[in-house]
Amino acid sequence: MERADLELRNTTYRQFANLGRAPSANEVADALGVSLQAVQEGWERLHEAHALVLDHEAGELLMANPFSGRETNYIVYTGDRRWFANCAWDAFGIGAALGVDSVIETDCPDCADPIRLTVTDGVPDDGDSTFHVLVPAARWWDDIVHT
Amino acid sequence: MLLFRSEEHLNRWLAGRAPGAVLSARQLSDLATAWWGDRLASDWKPHTREQNQRILEGLGLIDPFWNLGP
Repeated sequence: MERADLELRNTTYRQFANLGRAPSANEVADALGVSLQAVQEGWERLHEAHALVLDHEAGELLMANPFSGRETNYIVYTGDRRWFANCAWDAFGIGAALGVDSVIETDCPDCADPIRLTVTDGVPDDGDSTFHVLVPAARWWDDIVHT
Repeated sequence: MLLFRSEEHLNRWLAGRAPGAVLSARQLSDLATAWWGDRLASDWKPHTREQNQRILEGLGLIDPFWNLGP
């Protein structure tokens, strides 16, 4: 990864964490003092490198894993902030990336009952919750939205 | 990548279909910490495939299901 793309990626992630939401391409361009086109082209390269995931139609961020640019069924609370995660794995990753404890809320895909987990120092307080990955690891990036 | 209330709920949801991989919430938290823990580090660099495979192996995820491929 080229140094400029690494800086773009790190600024994008830093802004995501600071704003509590996905930054727009314009916001990242302003932060870096570069053109909107430079950000959009750099994001395309980062998308190809699996460093983030773009919504090509909207021209904006879909995922900066573990953070989601859209509202999802995996909601993560850290202090007074609320985040959306792309999946269960990412939901645990948000507290890990921020280096803080977290509360994860979602619904059971089987019964739709709510699941609420508190993760303290990396340890979840629910011993029964069970994580399932359908797609083998070698095929995750065939369609990262559906794994 | 879904979270169920329990393995019983997962099995009911699968309805006889073959499962993929199943982890406890604690295993998932350990995996997420190892996988995502450096994402906001100022000196972050992309993980290589080998690095990521070592993370999986270090957590005992050595089944072919967890092989990241070429």
